[in-house]
Amino acid sequence: MAYLSVDHPSPALKQLPTSLAFAIGIVLLLTVPGIEVTSELTAAIGIAMMVIATALAAIFTRIERLDRLSIIIPVIDLLAIGAFRSGTGGALSIFGTLLILPVVWIAAERGRRHILMAGVGVSLALYMPYLDIENAPSGISELVRGIYSPLVFAVAAAIINELARQTRSQLEAIRRLADDKEVILQRTVEFANQLQDSEAQIREADRLFRNVWAATTEQSIIGTDNTGRVDAWNAGAENLLGLSQGEAEGRSFVFEFHIPAELNELSRELNYPPGETVLNPGFSALVESARLGRAESREWTYVRKDGSQVPVLLSVTKRVNDLGQTSGYLFVATDVTQSREVARLKDEFLGLISHELRTPLSSILGYLELLLDDEENPLSDDQKSYLGVAERNAHRLLRLVGDLLFTAQVESGKFPLDSSDVELNRIVSAAVESARPAANAAGITLIEAVVADTSLVHGDPIRLGQACDNLVSNAIKFTPRGGTVTVSLVNTGPDAVITVQDTGIGIPASELNQLYSRFFRATTATRNAVPGVGLGLTITKAIINAHGGELDVQSTEGVGTSFSVTLERVETGMAALES
Amino acid sequence: MTDAVARRVVVADDDSDIRALVAISAKRAGLDVVASVEDGDKAWAAIQELRPDLVILDVSMPGLSGLDVCRLVRADPAMAGIPILLLSAAVDEPSRAAGKQAGAQEYLAKPFSPRALVAWLTEECPKNG
Repeated sequence: MAYLSVDHPSPALKQLPTSLAFAIGIVLLLTVPGIEVTSELTAAIGIAMMVIATALAAIFTRIERLDRLSIIIPVIDLLAIGAFRSGTGGALSIFGTLLILPVVWIAAERGRRHILMAGVGVSLALYMPYLDIENAPSGISELVRGIYSPLVFAVAAAIINELARQTRSQLEAIRRLADDKEVILQRTVEFANQLQDSEAQIREADRLFRNVWAATTEQSIIGTDNTGRVDAWNAGAENLLGLSQGEAEGRSFVFEFHIPAELNELSRELNYPPGETVLNPGFSALVESARLGRAESREWTYVRKDGSQVPVLLSVTKRVNDLGQTSGYLFVATDVTQSREVARLKDEFLGLISHELRTPLSSILGYLELLLDDEENPLSDDQKSYLGVAERNAHRLLRLVGDLLFTAQVESGKFPLDSSDVELNRIVSAAVESARPAANAAGITLIEAVVADTSLVHGDPIRLGQACDNLVSNAIKFTPRGGTVTVSLVNTGPDAVITVQDTGIGIPASELNQLYSRFFRATTATRNAVPGVGLGLTITKAIINAHGGELDVQSTEGVGTSFSVTLERVETGMAALES
Repeated sequence: MTDAVARRVVVADDDSDIRALVAISAKRAGLDVVASVEDGDKAWAAIQELRPDLVILDVSMPGLSGLDVCRLVRADPAMAGIPILLLSAAVDEPSRAAGKQAGAQEYLAKPFSPRALVAWLTEECPKNG
């Protein structure tokens, strides 16, 4: 703001020197002998005009929008000084020099027209004494003086105008420069701040990475270049393989920690001819999936520094440089010794459970049967009924043991299928027939809608029967007395679809996705006290999945549930012949 | 009954209740239980000593397993023809296959029905030799 006041001084400020000099002139006129008024009227007009000019300057300063008219002030000044000079001796007056002050004002304004304005103004002022006919110029010298002086003032005005123009343009250049400098400075500050932020982020990321790297003591992480040479080795790798970072980095190749036979086997699988690749063929096989951008986890055996072996689950991923090229690989391995041991113990435990529960059940069921079959000492009907309850519950326990064992087998991936071509319609019919007594007892209408054509699928008949039995018995279990269960089998294109539909209590929509979880029971089942442990659908789903089929469910609470099993059919003899 | 003398059977199971149940079923089928023992070693000793017409073995027993005894019997030319019935709590197909491979005539999963056992012993059990 400070330079603005200098650059654009107010009309009052510009008028100040003229008014002051004029006031001093008046004082000199009144006090100094020899400086006299020659025409009181003219001098008074001059003073009055100066007062008007000064007043206008004050007004224009107060009212900014009038500022552009302020050029008339120095013009009035020139006329005021002309009149004052005329009234104080005319050409002989000492006050002609005052003219320089408004001339400077006018000349300093923007535009060359102001030079002319200053020249004309000065001429008018200087010729003012001659407005009186009596004072008309008497000789050539006075005429010349009337031309020469304005000419000099005009030249001075031109110089001032040019200097002002140059000063203004320099000032503008300086201002532009200053503005540019300001912008550049701001940008520089912004860049510096961004740089600082980025640096802080990089430092934070680096710190986080170092912490994670140091904290990963249970997983071995090995980084290599494209040839398998180790260039990164974490604490987990030290723990797992017994080699320090210094011993491994730059000195070892990752395939040295593998059993050659395992690498050779995978190389053969992937058709890597031994010795025909630039890289160690074992290494090529090791990184094959990662090189192709696939995520792969596979069990391998690592060989420790002391020669001992450790089973690991190894994930290999590729490292990519700034250009997007593969720069090496990362090998993340987890020791699976413990999880293998847990799996072994689990198998052992299940075997034990199976044996230890089945053996007493054998006795219970066997002796119950002896009692019920004893013809020499026949039981009363009541006794038979009581023992029947005991027998039924022993069978229930036996089924539970079987189901538990089965789900455990499914989980551990040991799910044997004894597959052959199976006529699905027979299996569905058998499931319906075996469920009919239960349906009758529960007052439920059981409808079988099996299509006449055979539906031949490839599968394990016992397991498929188990799946159908589960679905049909579930439907009966969850349908209130008076309801209907419809079991249908249709061939749809290449598939056979079994549908078991009931008019039962239904399953809440929010629980449909948990339906196949082990031991899950729908709230509608527990609320209605329907017996069960929540294994049937887990098993059914596992069986259907193992056959490559699909198990779908649709249910509306209070309306009913429909399960459908889709299995791929095998081509029948005729169809095969036709094709 | 064409047999003048009841066929002699050796029963081995580490569970005494099951041994008794098998013995009762065998008697109902008209067989003579000449030995009822609780482990594989005793079973093998009894078989060698008594040369029975039939052997009923539990698979999982202390000492020699039922499968071991089965293989020993089959390996001995003098006894290779004795029919063997294996009883086991293992119901999976590989276990059944292992039983058949060891040379058993039948593999019966526990729990078994005494009625079914009697039926097999009287109707389906092959004769020695």
